[in-house]
Amino acid sequence: MVMNFIFPDFSAIIPEMIILAFACAALLADLFSPRQQKHLAYLLTQVGLAVAAIVTFVQWGKPTVVTFNYQFISDDISRLLKLFIYLTVFGAFYYSRQYLAQRNIPRGEYYVLGLFSTLGMMLLVSSHSFITLFLGLELLSLPLYAMVALQRDSAIASEAAMKYFVMGAIASGMLLYGMSLLYGASGSLDLALVAKSIIQSSNSQSWMYAFALVFIVAGIAFKFAAAPFHMWAPDVYSGSPSCVTLFLSSAPKVAAFGMALRLLVFALPDLFSQWQQLLMVLALFSIVLGNIFAIAQTNLKRMLAYSSIAHIGYMLLGLIAGTQFGYSASLFYILIYALMALAAFGMIVLLSKAGFEAENIEDFKGLNVRNPWLAFLVMLVMFSMAGIPPTIGFISKFLVLKAVIDVGIVWLAVIAVVFAMIGAFYYLRIVKTMYFDAPADASTLMIGRDMQLVISLNGIALLVLGLFPAGLLQACLTALG
Amino acid sequence: MGIIDFIFYVSAALVLGSATVVVTSRNPVRSALALVLTFLASASIWMLAYAEFLALILILVYVGAVMTLFLFVIMMLDIDVVTTRQRFVRYAPLVIAMGVILTGLLLLALKPDYFVFAHLQSAVDYGLSYSNTAELGKILYTEYVLAFEVAAVLLLVAIIAAVSLAHRKPRDCKTQQPVAQMMVDPKQRIRLVKPERK
Amino acid sequence: MIPLTHFLVVSAILFSLSLVGVMLNRKNIILVLMCIELMLLAVNTNFIAFAHYLGDLSGQIFVFFILTVAAAEAAIGLAIVVLLFRNRGSIDVDQMNQLKG
Repeated sequence: MVMNFIFPDFSAIIPEMIILAFACAALLADLFSPRQQKHLAYLLTQVGLAVAAIVTFVQWGKPTVVTFNYQFISDDISRLLKLFIYLTVFGAFYYSRQYLAQRNIPRGEYYVLGLFSTLGMMLLVSSHSFITLFLGLELLSLPLYAMVALQRDSAIASEAAMKYFVMGAIASGMLLYGMSLLYGASGSLDLALVAKSIIQSSNSQSWMYAFALVFIVAGIAFKFAAAPFHMWAPDVYSGSPSCVTLFLSSAPKVAAFGMALRLLVFALPDLFSQWQQLLMVLALFSIVLGNIFAIAQTNLKRMLAYSSIAHIGYMLLGLIAGTQFGYSASLFYILIYALMALAAFGMIVLLSKAGFEAENIEDFKGLNVRNPWLAFLVMLVMFSMAGIPPTIGFISKFLVLKAVIDVGIVWLAVIAVVFAMIGAFYYLRIVKTMYFDAPADASTLMIGRDMQLVISLNGIALLVLGLFPAGLLQACLTALG
Repeated sequence: MGIIDFIFYVSAALVLGSATVVVTSRNPVRSALALVLTFLASASIWMLAYAEFLALILILVYVGAVMTLFLFVIMMLDIDVVTTRQRFVRYAPLVIAMGVILTGLLLLALKPDYFVFAHLQSAVDYGLSYSNTAELGKILYTEYVLAFEVAAVLLLVAIIAAVSLAHRKPRDCKTQQPVAQMMVDPKQRIRLVKPERK
Repeated sequence: MIPLTHFLVVSAILFSLSLVGVMLNRKNIILVLMCIELMLLAVNTNFIAFAHYLGDLSGQIFVFFILTVAAAEAAIGLAIVVLLFRNRGSIDVDQMNQLKG
């Protein structure tokens, strides 16, 4: 019998293969290296990320490749998202090194599971069919559930893992149910073919499409932790060890944006008016609830969790606009958010010492006295999150607001601006705590020189990008162009 | 009504009935066993939709492995049956009402004319020589080879995660350490002292 | 021949039953895990029915992968349950008051 089988183009998938190879190597290295030399797994994961980044960078600007029987796509969007995924994962592993060593958390497993999760993110942003999208999503999520519970003697961490797991599994179920209805209506699992069949569909089907869409959007909202599907985020952020919170607050958001883009913009462009309304509800709830609840928090990790909910709301504004510029603005917003979350949680991880977790706002009291440079960096991060110029946070907020105003949804932009001002209050409260409150313990606080260098780069980047945003913005525009 | 229809409706009734038992039973073991019945009845429904391979996989993997794992965990954890369901009734009516509304909406959305695409309502009739397993195998290892490899990675991740979470380190249990026993120095065990004469 | 709608009705009822089950049994995590299995079963039945009526095997392939993922997910979920039990001595969600959502 003759089979029509096109040999896949492996060159498109080289970054994924590199990450997989290094993850397996790190797993073996961790297993067989002696107890004193456990940093081998760490080195291998970081080298793997660097090599994959170089390959992806070389691919940048090359024509779009769709291969593996239309399962996998390598285009500039996926390459840009992947570059930021490597960057944030690299940073998260870098900051966590000392934190892990001081605590009873298995180090090798953290890096290996984290790298497998990274592989899932890469597949997710490169998926071209429901099958690879689902598998990528699960490969991203399953290691995360385990990482949250990795501190095995902590009751709080295992409780957080359980909540995360149940919510994630329900979200997958919802997403799958929506996908099954779309498959039945379109007869295909391929994202491009689904889009094509929706254009040809009759009006009578719109009810069913709307229904499938509700399930898909609910699944996406769960993964993003957009309100009203946000219940798990504060618990998981505060319950997991800080190094895991650092990991799951940054890179997975970038990947989740890739998923939303593939599902909504690529597969369902003709249902735009329906999903626009659903996203508007999500954005409104997220911006309002996220900012209001964040004010009441005393735990910094919980506060940042609510702040991430609000940020997701702002990111959705660009998608709601539904223009090429709006999508680019959203892409820009989520990339910048990942950098800010990396710096903010990285600071929490770096300031924690053995037996002490710097996770309450009062732990930052008088940081200016104890270490002025770190206090300055935290101030930069908080300014950027609040959207105060000249930091990059201002520009990313400005772009998404401009996108919705351009299409004439002014009321939403007004609400967003009002709540951004309310939001600025709790970010500035931390700055006030650092600069004007007396420290409980006035001793100087030092962190390792190498850590100081990387967190400084991370913090300064928020300022430098704010002054010269054109390059990254141009990359976002060409990726979606 | 032909025999096929009879099997379908009996299986469907069994699926829904046993699923209700899963959801409402007070005893987790009974829920697990009802879930086994749900899987078996679903497998026969899948069989009627010409998915023989998947129906058998459902029985082998789910009834044979996953549900066994569930039962192991239930027995290992020794869950107190009485206390698990005390506040069950308080918000039950609300939840059941939501369930009824959701079902109603789903049934409204699933009118057959919404799925007019392709050859809907005219399912393919397969010949006697048709082998579902062979056909699946042919495309699984060619067109879906990427997904297949990713699934393999997923299973590896599940192994790593489950072992790193649930495995007890050897230091938690009492074992002999022959090397330490053989390398022991008599001086560490017995100290000969010369008592002072008084 | 059985109409497509009847397959879909079975899986739609199964799906809502599983969601109701998750909400009713929030206190017992083992039961929540079982309800998630029910949910995936409903999805799989949908896919298989559509694959049959479309005469397209890709739906069955998707079910194959969902089954694989669900088995992996169950393993990790049960590992977390065991860990939770070891740390707390119970899996009663009501006693989980350390994290308030």
